[in-house]
Amino acid sequence: MVAKQVDAWAQLLAAAKAGDTRACAKFLKAVTPVLRGIVRAKGLGLRDACCQDVLQDVLLAVHLKRQRWDSEAPIRLFLYAIARHKVVDAFRARGHKIDVPTDDFVDVLAANAGTDPTEAAGITKRIRMPNARLAIIFRKIGLEVASVAKTGGALMISQGAVCAALHRALKTLAILTERHVT
Amino acid sequence: MKTDDLIRMLAADTVRQRALRTTLTLGLLPSLAFVAVAVWLTLGFRADLSTALVTPLSVARIVLTCLLGVVSTRLALVLARPEGAQTARLWPLAALAGIALGLLVWAFISTPADARQMAAVGKTMTTCLIVIPLLSILPVAALHYVLHRGATTAPLRAGFVAGLAGSGLSAAIYALYCSEDSPLFYVTWYGLAIMGVALISTVVSARSLRW
Repeated sequence: MVAKQVDAWAQLLAAAKAGDTRACAKFLKAVTPVLRGIVRAKGLGLRDACCQDVLQDVLLAVHLKRQRWDSEAPIRLFLYAIARHKVVDAFRARGHKIDVPTDDFVDVLAANAGTDPTEAAGITKRIRMPNARLAIIFRKIGLEVASVAKTGGALMISQGAVCAALHRALKTLAILTERHVT
Repeated sequence: MKTDDLIRMLAADTVRQRALRTTLTLGLLPSLAFVAVAVWLTLGFRADLSTALVTPLSVARIVLTCLLGVVSTRLALVLARPEGAQTARLWPLAALAGIALGLLVWAFISTPADARQMAAVGKTMTTCLIVIPLLSILPVAALHYVLHRGATTAPLRAGFVAGLAGSGLSAAIYALYCSEDSPLFYVTWYGLAIMGVALISTVVSARSLRW
């Protein structure tokens, strides 16, 4: 992994922590290939859709806990610690015991998505859990690429309310993920 | 859901979380103030407090428990971060335990044989074993809350140090009432109470500190 790349991650995450939406998206997109590589490396033999599920669980965790990154701290350690923790959890939940030693990710090669497999079932199923309004928010922002403002307009609630609802929903999603509710 | 769609959704979530240090201060300081007031109102501080505070053996209780509390709290903050599990060093805790045990041995040697039992059992053994854990409830809960808002990848260790921190600080406040000055008493019973709270905290954290 190139040091420049890691520096770029650190800058993006710092901006994302400060509230920059685009930096947040860029950061998540930038780390996705590496995280996917980690998941695939640990999940040898598992179906692509399952690996994509686990990858999305890791992304959700990284996003929700982004404020816990100390700007002075090395970002790779932070990222890999989360990935390791979540990957072990996720695979154990799906019935596969894996062992992930601490120094393992040093030479991970970034993995590209290739042909996108059938839509990851995990998160989609859990999203059906919350109420109808949240389902609309997810659909509008996630699938229809609507902005928060437009979504607020469509639902006749303020932007702040959309943000709050989205945040709460993502936290619930993380809890459902942790409890392995599918 | 396609990963790109998920990322879009995650990026739209800009709600910011308070820094852990702030949450810690807002939670722990009022808890400790409450503990101090509770001790003062129900048990009262010892009458000879000003003398005790300059007596080495007596003040050693407060110093050691305070140190334990502060060191453990700092460790809890480190362990609250994902990479903390790799960077946290637990040796200061071992050092404190060593000092406490050293005091115990010294007290054992320097107390005449027939006075040892009385010094060890004291008059307030049961009070100590009950009150310190009770006082620890709020401070330990505050620390658990901070850890829960964090992202610990070592939940058991985090729960353990949270228990040590909360009960250590509560024991330091309890020592303002307690007039048992022999290490034979306080290393034994305060130590037992603290370890008991730390154990319960560890067990609780196995479930509560998942994320």
